[in-house]
Amino acid sequence: MIKHHPSDETLFRYANGSLEPGPRIIVAVHAGGCATCASRISEFEAVGGSLMHDIEPDDMEPSALDHVMAKIEIDEAARDRLAVRPRLPRADVGIRLPQVLDDCGIGPWRWIGPGVRWSRVTLPGDDNANVMLLKVTAGRKLPEHTHTGYEYTHVLKGSFSDARGRYGPGDLDEADDDVQHQPIVDKDGECICIAALEGQMKLRGFFGRLIQPLIG
Amino acid sequence: MNASGHHFIADKAFLAFEVAKTGLAVTMRKDEESPSAPEASRLLAAVAADRDRAAFAVLFGFYAPRVKAFLRRSGMTASAAEDVAQETMLIVWKKASYFDPARAGVSTWIFTIARNARIDRLRREGRPAAVAEAFDPSDEPDAPVSGEQAVIAAEREERVRTALGLLPREQAEILKMSFFGEETQSQIASAFGIPLGTVKSRVRLALGRLRQILDDLK
Repeated sequence: MIKHHPSDETLFRYANGSLEPGPRIIVAVHAGGCATCASRISEFEAVGGSLMHDIEPDDMEPSALDHVMAKIEIDEAARDRLAVRPRLPRADVGIRLPQVLDDCGIGPWRWIGPGVRWSRVTLPGDDNANVMLLKVTAGRKLPEHTHTGYEYTHVLKGSFSDARGRYGPGDLDEADDDVQHQPIVDKDGECICIAALEGQMKLRGFFGRLIQPLIG
Repeated sequence: MNASGHHFIADKAFLAFEVAKTGLAVTMRKDEESPSAPEASRLLAAVAADRDRAAFAVLFGFYAPRVKAFLRRSGMTASAAEDVAQETMLIVWKKASYFDPARAGVSTWIFTIARNARIDRLRREGRPAAVAEAFDPSDEPDAPVSGEQAVIAAEREERVRTALGLLPREQAEILKMSFFGEETQSQIASAFGIPLGTVKSRVRLALGRLRQILDDLK
């Protein structure tokens, strides 16, 4: 039972494309397992479709259609050619990852501190997004911390709790800079999350501080 | 504004006058070429099944200028917007067979392609082109279809359209401005004469209202 969802603002930004690639993939992972949020995103996308339909149109270049038609000719001629996309390396992290991540690169687990391991997730065509898997052993208390930007954490396995509640599989924790918390991984097993930071250089948050020595 | 722009507006005003005068139940359209939703859907099906270039040209004529306008309002230069709009329409051609009317309307589908192409363009900036080319923007993960979703796509489009019409004018404007990202928060603040600090909460309020209306219409 999913209890924690992304905010409407976040789903709205997913729909209009202004959510950064890192947080975007976290929201996509969540929506992949959450019919409520998937449907909310569809509604906001329909808002986009409706607004675009009614927008005051811009003039295209006079040759625009010809140009696209010419590309289509080339494309049709090469239709049988198989589009090969380089596969990003994927380490086995011990759990089945959501389908949304199929094209992402997955790094091996690396030790980051007592009871905590991380793995870098790379997005196709984007080396800069700060996305990672985190694995924390059962019962471990993480240091109390605040955030300097938004951090999006989606639980894939196990659970953790803090003053705001308990986060289990399928839950998405959207923590902004107002949140000060001390998450504790529940005793019944390890917890694996996928997390992203908003802002490429904002490495002063909790995960930022954890991975700062590794990223340099 | 240039002379042709004035001319266009004058035409629309004249048309509105004509409609009012005769009292005809004429469906007002943004412009003459606007295909109806089922028509657009049928054109797209023709592109998918028969690689129908004439059908594609009609879709291009209506959607490319709107995609470009959306891209410009979200902060792209005119030439980048032209480029990405052409790219978007090329993807529409290539992916026409993936269009599922049970899932989204044509405008919404093309909007999401344009959005993804824009994300890809931003991602590509500052990166070697050869690497970035390998990433097809239309492969950007979409939220998967849930069981109930397929049935209600058309109903959803209608509901969203109605909800936008029911929103108080100011909230509709704020949502529109922030959706396209055309205005920074300070521009929104000055446009509505509200303090900068309250823009975020105004957007939040407008979204909350939209959500409420959408749910009430269900």
